[in-house]
Amino acid sequence: MSAARLRLTPAIFFGRAALAVYLLIMLLWLTFPVVLVLLASFQGTLEVSFPAPVSFDAYKTIPPSYWEAFWFTIRAALLATGIALLVAIPAAWAMVRGKLAGRRIMSNLVLIPDVVPQLILGIALLTVFIPLRLSNSFAGVMLALVALSLSTGLRFTEALLEGLPDEYEQAAQSLGANKFTTFRLVVLPLIAPGVAIAALFIFMQNLITFELLFFISGPSATPIAIRLFSDIIDRGIVPYAVAMAGILVYVAIAFYTLVAVSLGPKYMAGSVMSRKG
Amino acid sequence: MNMSNNAAQPVHIDRVRKTFGEFVAVRELSLDIEAGEFVTFLGPSGCGKSTTLKMLSGLLPQDSGEIRFGNKRIDMLPANKRNIGLVFQNYALFPHMSVAENIAFGLRMRGWSRADKDKRVEQLLQLVRLEGLGNRKPEQLSGGQQQRVAVARALAFNPDLVLLDEPLSNLDAKLREQVRLDLRDIQRRANQTTIFVTHDQVEALVMSDRIVLMNKGGVEQVGTPYELYATPATEFGARFVGANNLIAGTLDKSSGAIQARIGPETVQPVSTHSNNVEKDGMDIWYCVRPEHVAMRPQSSAGHFGGRVMDKIYQGTTVLIDLDVKGLGTVRAERPALEVGDLGVGTDVGVHIERSHAVARLG
Repeated sequence: MSAARLRLTPAIFFGRAALAVYLLIMLLWLTFPVVLVLLASFQGTLEVSFPAPVSFDAYKTIPPSYWEAFWFTIRAALLATGIALLVAIPAAWAMVRGKLAGRRIMSNLVLIPDVVPQLILGIALLTVFIPLRLSNSFAGVMLALVALSLSTGLRFTEALLEGLPDEYEQAAQSLGANKFTTFRLVVLPLIAPGVAIAALFIFMQNLITFELLFFISGPSATPIAIRLFSDIIDRGIVPYAVAMAGILVYVAIAFYTLVAVSLGPKYMAGSVMSRKG
Repeated sequence: MNMSNNAAQPVHIDRVRKTFGEFVAVRELSLDIEAGEFVTFLGPSGCGKSTTLKMLSGLLPQDSGEIRFGNKRIDMLPANKRNIGLVFQNYALFPHMSVAENIAFGLRMRGWSRADKDKRVEQLLQLVRLEGLGNRKPEQLSGGQQQRVAVARALAFNPDLVLLDEPLSNLDAKLREQVRLDLRDIQRRANQTTIFVTHDQVEALVMSDRIVLMNKGGVEQVGTPYELYATPATEFGARFVGANNLIAGTLDKSSGAIQARIGPETVQPVSTHSNNVEKDGMDIWYCVRPEHVAMRPQSSAGHFGGRVMDKIYQGTTVLIDLDVKGLGTVRAERPALEVGDLGVGTDVGVHIERSHAVARLG
């Protein structure tokens, strides 16, 4: 608190009130869709009414095909996130520290999957996947997600390593560590919190990716987003579709909480950078 | 307990050179360092001292020249094979490791057994007076303590050479004075060949066995702190190390003795460093340290006439700006007790107790 307290003049009071209202509206706008889906999932309809009985009926009617699609998506999303980070972290390290020629161009090239419309990317992948018999398969969906995840993963880890002073690595080398040991014992632990946040974002992205997978998926490889889409087109907004949407929201919240709790609050509030000494 | 580094070897730097494009960062630097010696590279930023340090540590390849420990050439080895301890300006302690793990890192890389590591870490914690803090994380320590951990980490594996890159610049003034002496003491007890890099001439004077004064990629002078202070070799040295009055004059060897001639009338005896200053009639700077400017009552003979123009009180000493007949403006530094009652405007006799000459170029 500052020593001299400001008197609460009307101008300051209305200024603060306006700011509070502004923030409230913004928060409502951001949370409205999620809140609506959650409310709807307990009433079995998008026409939410107040007050309304809370019931789990919609959840109980979720058909097995939905659960199959749900677990299919979780498996593909997790695997793609893991593979993407395993590839992205060493690649980003080589790009940031290796001072490779044409690094700027490379950094921009890997962004292509992020800036090309996903539908187009999906078509391109399909032309490769069909002769390889990868379309309409778990591997195909997973690989498509890897392409997308890699781009995000590289972007994250590049920023993380740029933010890590290279003195830690120089210190490790002067103490006798070779490149690999330096990476394992110094770089990786220092960027780990940032990598966890990257993993969270990539996983969420994978969980809800739709356009990219639209052509690649099929009857024997259906991600949950596609399942929901085709059901809603065919049958309208059925209660169990809303319930499944609710479940996806719970998964998102659960993963966010997991990462937040294991890292502590100081890493979560908008920061993706690693800690510094 | 034997803390000394018995395997200490002399270090030879032989015509090492580094350029960045057109810019010559280090020009043919050669230096032989004795085992156990504490050598300081002193100079302003951009003088090449940090570049030299990087080349020694292996973090930057030199363009040409050799570096040897004893007879072993090491400049072709990567940083992790050189056996050099490095202390960074920001310490670069690993934040995810405890103090003990930081100190043991170099031992771990060398495959020491757990028992040996623990014993060595204890020894070093004792050496840097951080007993009992081994389990702390670096962020739980003060700046001065972190600095000592960085030193312990660099000493732990008995390196052939320890390099310190401005390790005191992040400490506050009071702590810095203490750590200077601590660091010197640790270095002596470990008999550790050490190169210290700084832009702070006081640090260099206080800590070093020898100082390498650098400027624009070249070496201006190599010598003991006393030699650098008392007999600077160049104008740069006269200006950079300690305070100095520099008065333009010419060398006068006509009487056989080495003297400085300032203006038409004034002739004063001077010391010189070397063959840099030898030719009769050459341009020189007549250099007088402020503490060698004494003031006497005006009437006494053999002194310059002078007048007190300004007084700056500093606690133990007072700076006095004098207008001296035949010399111009000269700054004196005297003990406060001696000149307490000397008022601005007072006429005094000025006596130059000691003076030195360096070549004046251009």
